[in-house]
Amino acid sequence: MIRKIRKQMTLSRVVLIVFLSCIAVFMLLPIIFLFNNAFKPLNELFLFPPTIFVQHPTMRNFEQLLLHTAAGVVPFSRYLFNSLLISGITLVAVVLVSTMAGYVLSKHRFHFKRLIMALIMISLMFVPETVMIPRYLMMSGLKLTDTYFAHILPFIAAPVAVFLMKQFIDQIPDALVESAKLDGATDMTVFTRIIIPLTAPAVATVCIITFQAVFLDTETSMNYITNETMKTMAYYVTAFTSNVPGVAAVSISAAVGLLMFVPNLILFLLFQRKMIQTMLHSGVK
Amino acid sequence: MGSVEFNHVYKYYKGESNPSVHDFHLTIEDGEFLVMVGPSGCGKSTTLRMLAGLEDVSKGDIYIDGKFMNYVSPKDRDIAMVFQNYALYPNLTVYENMALGLQLHKVAKHDIELRVNRAARMLEISAYLTKKPNQLSGGQKQRVALGRALVREPKVFLMDEPLSNLDAKLRTQTRMEISKLHKQLNTTMVYVTHDQTEAMTMGTRIVVMKDGNIEQVAPPQRLYDSPDNLFVAGFIGTPQMNFLQGTIATHDGEYFFENKRLKLKIHDSYIPHIKAANRKIREVILGIRPEYVACEGWALEAYPEWQASAIIDMIEPMGSNTFLFATIGKDTVISRAEPHTPIQIGETVKLVIHMDKAHLFDCESGVSLAVRGDR
Ligand SMILES: Nc1ncnc2c1ncn2[C@@H]1O[C@H](COP(=O)(O)OP(=O)(O)O)[C@@H](O)[C@H]1O
Ligand SMILES: [Mg+2]
Repeated sequence: MIRKIRKQMTLSRVVLIVFLSCIAVFMLLPIIFLFNNAFKPLNELFLFPPTIFVQHPTMRNFEQLLLHTAAGVVPFSRYLFNSLLISGITLVAVVLVSTMAGYVLSKHRFHFKRLIMALIMISLMFVPETVMIPRYLMMSGLKLTDTYFAHILPFIAAPVAVFLMKQFIDQIPDALVESAKLDGATDMTVFTRIIIPLTAPAVATVCIITFQAVFLDTETSMNYITNETMKTMAYYVTAFTSNVPGVAAVSISAAVGLLMFVPNLILFLLFQRKMIQTMLHSGVK
Repeated sequence: MGSVEFNHVYKYYKGESNPSVHDFHLTIEDGEFLVMVGPSGCGKSTTLRMLAGLEDVSKGDIYIDGKFMNYVSPKDRDIAMVFQNYALYPNLTVYENMALGLQLHKVAKHDIELRVNRAARMLEISAYLTKKPNQLSGGQKQRVALGRALVREPKVFLMDEPLSNLDAKLRTQTRMEISKLHKQLNTTMVYVTHDQTEAMTMGTRIVVMKDGNIEQVAPPQRLYDSPDNLFVAGFIGTPQMNFLQGTIATHDGEYFFENKRLKLKIHDSYIPHIKAANRKIREVILGIRPEYVACEGWALEAYPEWQASAIIDMIEPMGSNTFLFATIGKDTVISRAEPHTPIQIGETVKLVIHMDKAHLFDCESGVSLAVRGDR
């Protein structure tokens, strides 16, 4: 075993591994810094030169955060609740819509399929800013401003997710679907028993990109929502860190920075292996 | 009970002006092993897929067991299909692969177990039941695919080139096993292949197809002995049948096949066909299988009127016999000779062409003169 490892350890390999390890540590620094900052007492936060590691960890920053109420009335927990609810519902909806649409677009023959694919491709090309105003007009026309729908609906139209799922499902041989149909499967059975298990890596990828997009989105809260109780944590954080002056802001933003980061981390750790599979060979042989 | 009837079936793919399957008209009896053979792209798979319900029928009717099938969805046709690349579900174990069809048909659990285990024993895959398909070799995957079809106990088995991904030895072995299976089960099988050896060895009846048309339907030996046209004659049999171009001439009431270098007396048994064809002299192609081109001394003595002189180009010893590639003028003729033939390359020899086994084809249409107008 050891001999085998030694055999593979040529000089160039060693150099490569050392080099990559250095980069990895460097990339890890902000995360380490983020975690430590959240638990630093006020005096350590203002220390110069700043330290990376916390010396006297404390929960004071989080206490401050929970006590703080934006605009005098809305507690922080409301923003957190909004964010988690919106992200959760959107995630489920996007996964459902994109996998089903991907399956139909990939494995079914129907009229206007090429047109629909072309529309999806075109919508991929729009910069978000260009659709902001039309979207606002639609939202207010539908009287959906200041509701959760304003947060959720725009994200469900996810051309990237549909496109990704379609490309991935394309790689499942048609014969597999046909064989299942001859075995007596309905479309729903094919979808749940064959397509979804085989595209798990792509589903994981869709989960991660969707969650990040929704969880970090501030535009919606800024543009379509005037009611403070319907806004999200991402909005709260940006608004807070840019508006509130003073010493208290620094300690709260240290805590909130970690809170913004943790859900992403959890999701990524959950799906990371699957996601790497997507990137590596993105295929079912 | 699983008879199949194609009633003048056509298939036009979207955007194609020519039909991929043209007037396919055939009845398959219950329990038959029907092989569809033809070069790649001739419409075999399309026909099979129409029978399976995976493609729409453009024109014509398909019946299974007397029931009209055109608009019945694949899952309700009671058929099982084996695909070329096996199409096993990679996320399920071998057992689950075989059981899925039964589960979906709401077969009781103990019955599923019974049937899967029985099929597994039959195909000798019991040891792999808990493995995933990607842990199996090509031959094993192939057996699982067969097993999956087998447990369903369908009315009709469809197989689309199931052996073409296997190596030569395994192919021969599996070929025999499928034949054996058919004898045991006595279920109707429709088998598609581009390999004429498979067709000849397995089928109780063979359909030869070309460019979407049926060229001939016949049992294997009939197909070999009396091909209806040039295409079938050339497609069935290795090495290929020899073809020589020439004309039919009459001298003193006797019929001869003639070209610049040859003058062969046509065998009496063929003369009625020529007369029935009812035109006097015409361009024809003479077809003769290699085993009926002889170079041995006794043949030369026995059939002086069927001789031709040829130059030996190449010799291919196959072990059990030797193939001589000879040229008569511009044409190459293959002769099957004894394994230890003394003949050398470059030698000029006399060959006997057994005209009693020869076929004559109309040069223009390629149809055999033995095929009467009523067919
Ligand atoms: N989905 C399709 N769309 C258009 N043309 C097709 C399609 N499938 C097959 N064809 C055409 O139909 C003809 C017959 O194909 P196929 O039945 O697959 O031949 P075979 O199985 O005998 O090799 C071919 O010329 C092929 O190009
Ligand atoms: Mg084919």
